[in-house]
Amino acid sequence: MSAIRMPRIRAISVSPRPVRAKGAGRIVFLIVTSVLMLVPMYLLVVSAFKSQQDILNHPFSLSPDLLTTQYLQKAWANPDFDIVRGYAITVLFVVSVNVLSVVLAGPVSYVIARRGERRYRLLLLLFVAGTFIPSQVLVIPVVYTLKFLGLMGTVPGFVLFETTLTLPFSIFLYAGYIMTVPVSLDEAAAVDGAGKYRIFWSIVFPLMKPAVVTMVILNTFSVWNDFVNPQIILGPGSGLYTVTTGVYAAVSQYSTDYTVVFPTLLLAVAPLLVIFVLLQRHVISGLTAGATKG
Amino acid sequence: MSGGAAAVRLRDRLTTAGMVGPALLLFVVMLVIPVGLSIYLSLTDWDGYSANPALVGLRNYADLAANSEAIRAGWVTLLIAGIGTVLLNLLGLGFALLVNGASRLNAFFRVILFYPHVLSALVVGFLWSAVLGTSGVVNGFLTTRGAEVLPFLSDPTWALASLIGVLVWAGFGVNVVLYLAGLQTVSRDLQEAARIDGASPRQTFLNVTLPALAPVVTVNLVLSLVSLLKTYDLVVSLTGGGPAGSTQTAAYLILWDSFHNNALGVGSAQSVVLMLVTAGLALTVARLRSRQDQGARA
Amino acid sequence: MTRSVRRGFGVVLGTAILVGAAACGGGFSDEGSSGESTGEVRMLVNITPNLTKGYWEELVKPFEEANPGVDVKIEAPTGQGVKDSLPQLLAAGNAPDVVETLMADKTLAPQMLDLTDQEWTKDTPLAQEAAVDGKVYTVGVGQQAQSLVFYNKAAFAKAGISAPPKTLDELTAAMEKLKAAGYLPLQTAGDYVTGLQLLQLSDPSIASAHPDWYQKVKAKELTVGKTMLPLLQRYESWIKNGYVDKNALGLDDVNAQTNFLSGKSAMYIMGSWFVRTAEQAKPAFDLGVFAAPTEAGQPSPGPQGVTMAAPYMVLKSTKQRDLSVKLVQWLVTDQKAVQSQLSQDGNFRKGYTDQLSPLGKQVQDILDQAPKHVAQGEGYGANTLPKGFNTEWNKAVQSLYIGKRAQDVATGIDSWIGSKS
Repeated sequence: MSAIRMPRIRAISVSPRPVRAKGAGRIVFLIVTSVLMLVPMYLLVVSAFKSQQDILNHPFSLSPDLLTTQYLQKAWANPDFDIVRGYAITVLFVVSVNVLSVVLAGPVSYVIARRGERRYRLLLLLFVAGTFIPSQVLVIPVVYTLKFLGLMGTVPGFVLFETTLTLPFSIFLYAGYIMTVPVSLDEAAAVDGAGKYRIFWSIVFPLMKPAVVTMVILNTFSVWNDFVNPQIILGPGSGLYTVTTGVYAAVSQYSTDYTVVFPTLLLAVAPLLVIFVLLQRHVISGLTAGATKG
Repeated sequence: MSGGAAAVRLRDRLTTAGMVGPALLLFVVMLVIPVGLSIYLSLTDWDGYSANPALVGLRNYADLAANSEAIRAGWVTLLIAGIGTVLLNLLGLGFALLVNGASRLNAFFRVILFYPHVLSALVVGFLWSAVLGTSGVVNGFLTTRGAEVLPFLSDPTWALASLIGVLVWAGFGVNVVLYLAGLQTVSRDLQEAARIDGASPRQTFLNVTLPALAPVVTVNLVLSLVSLLKTYDLVVSLTGGGPAGSTQTAAYLILWDSFHNNALGVGSAQSVVLMLVTAGLALTVARLRSRQDQGARA
Repeated sequence: MTRSVRRGFGVVLGTAILVGAAACGGGFSDEGSSGESTGEVRMLVNITPNLTKGYWEELVKPFEEANPGVDVKIEAPTGQGVKDSLPQLLAAGNAPDVVETLMADKTLAPQMLDLTDQEWTKDTPLAQEAAVDGKVYTVGVGQQAQSLVFYNKAAFAKAGISAPPKTLDELTAAMEKLKAAGYLPLQTAGDYVTGLQLLQLSDPSIASAHPDWYQKVKAKELTVGKTMLPLLQRYESWIKNGYVDKNALGLDDVNAQTNFLSGKSAMYIMGSWFVRTAEQAKPAFDLGVFAAPTEAGQPSPGPQGVTMAAPYMVLKSTKQRDLSVKLVQWLVTDQKAVQSQLSQDGNFRKGYTDQLSPLGKQVQDILDQAPKHVAQGEGYGANTLPKGFNTEWNKAVQSLYIGKRAQDVATGIDSWIGSKS
């Protein structure tokens, strides 16, 4: 399992010198790439304001007489996919999974990191092996487990399953991170009479912040963007949909009516993208902060 | 041993159990038991809901070996995972080197390279199918100007290439970020020393930077591989498995067989194979890379 | 493996089997109950551009008004259609009370309520033909004619074709003329359309040549591949000659309809539900329809492929049996409800011909003139092919576009059927 051990090189340096691929050439190349990366997003935005005919005949045009908000309004008013409701449900899921994941993975990682016995190493191996199980495939037998527990088609059932999916990587990352926290801190607190729980939550946990931030970002993306699991576990009976399953319901029957596709997609991704751009520095650095120190 | 010490030990054990228990219980109930259930179901002919499934031994596995569709889906999955992993990592490392450094411009480029990851694969697929479809934006643009239609999604080879292309477009930003994090840990002194010794930038990269990055490369390879082996959402929204089933991946076929075709036993057998292959490949890559990893640690 | 690990594995597998056994057995033995006279009835329906969720909710409103305290909850599939969603819901033990769009077969029948004793089912279209082992599980609103070729009369005139083709050879000849006149002769698409069109086209000639085709296939006296081979070869030559678009697989049904109705292509093979779409689009040309041609020497018109429109089934596990049956009875017998569903999706039923459009009347005539109505593809009732055939056939036909030979396609489909029986 050493494979997915994050880098452990102790570096003296802060930042290496950027590779200077002949200054101007590098910038031009990056600008061309950026344009390629952004073209689909540009098409998504402008096409949301155009008729089918104009999308096909003048996909890139920004001429004001082609643009209209009527399709966007129609997508907004779609009775089968209430975007605000989809966002509210998805946010609820994201928050629940993140809180539960930290509460469950934190203490067990602490035990694994602090105890040297073989059985705790085996426990870590067991958890880490979970990363190899594709969740799209796991969901089939999980249907029966949840049904057995009476949790199929319910919010707790879905949240518990999604939380389970976050455990392997979280425990792996947290355990590795806690190992870098000096044991002397624990010992000092123990002398003061603090119990294990107190030591973990009030001394070790605050020091784990970078790792927790990394996991929260990763888990937020994976819960937000998950498609199969909410689709199957929540099913048509519950009446609950996330942004992603809602998009599927609204778009899949109309995948070539671009006056449905583009406005719906735009409404579904715009808020998330705006949040990402506002927080981009924290998201991108936070993604690896917990991983590189461990 | 005094009674007090025993009580302390008992309390200690209870606390440990309380810290390990909840996570372990959830993990066993929602992951270990379902995996066991998959193995059990793969030995039955169950349709998913009738009352009496019969045990059929290894027949589902034997059938798989003769099922040309499952075999094709297996190859398609391996092809996507193989080519995709290489591309994601070449682009990831390449662009990480290009946008490394603290300037504002670099921060801007990093956002641009990373942003598709914010979108779900499902949305990405619908977006690109609107762009690449036979009646899509690009072909609409071409045909109104008298050019031939390009079969991005209607020819098997093109469709597979489009699928991999979109996967890479959407995913390599993550690799860029991971490699950037790795580059922060490469000793600048060593690079400096190499430069003073007269090494060219290329030599410095090959002999200093790359070896030091070895563990990051391994992590990236394994993560890309594992995530590409379960490609599903994008198949649903971009190609629908077509044309003529040529872009069906293993995960796609498993869900299709399990529910649409009411062949849960067959689907479960494929699941078990996919899990084994995923674990096997990931461990193989890790083993093959272990020498480089050791080198980096030394 | 240490002993404790081995023991742990045993425990897990044991628990898994226990959960599995409970899931397989326990959850499905419940027979449902007759239920109350009020409450909620959950109905899983097919959603299409014609049949939106809003349409379904409007449709059942009169029923809810006539039965105070009853709430019909329309559920749209979350998977790739009802065919995926129903098994998921059954597996989850969360099945709806009523399901629309699927028909009972050997796998589904045990999950469905036997409606044979309900008198009103006798007067519903195709109920007897769709019965499984003599038992009625599925009742429908009307009939869909399948083997129809819609055509652009202006294009035919321009190409100098005076009468619609009666044989497949005449059809091919017409294609040549249409191509010369600058049209794409036959509109098709990827998705489900490719295979469906060829099935629709095959019904008259196959049923003429082999009146008991399904039985003979089941008895292995005939194979699907061998009987379909001439048609597959014909289709292969159409692709080669450019009578269908070689890039059609990248289109979906909506694209295909748009292309045909905007006058780019001359013919479109599709079921009678296309009538409504076609008339709503108000094409600039005169639109006609003829029955799918037969092989030379066979009677024309040949038998017509006919399927049940808006099939309904009641789930055996329902806790609202009385109310569900009442709802389904209302859906397939109430004058207004039937009329609404017929016109919404371009379907037909005896005694409901007054409100037909001119194009609808032509389809009704084709239905009336057909010497026989026959099942198609996977079929229904006593005439069935293995489950999944339509999907497999669709992929097989699509593979003609990507360079596979008709002979290999026929062999492939036969070996698939062989593996299923």
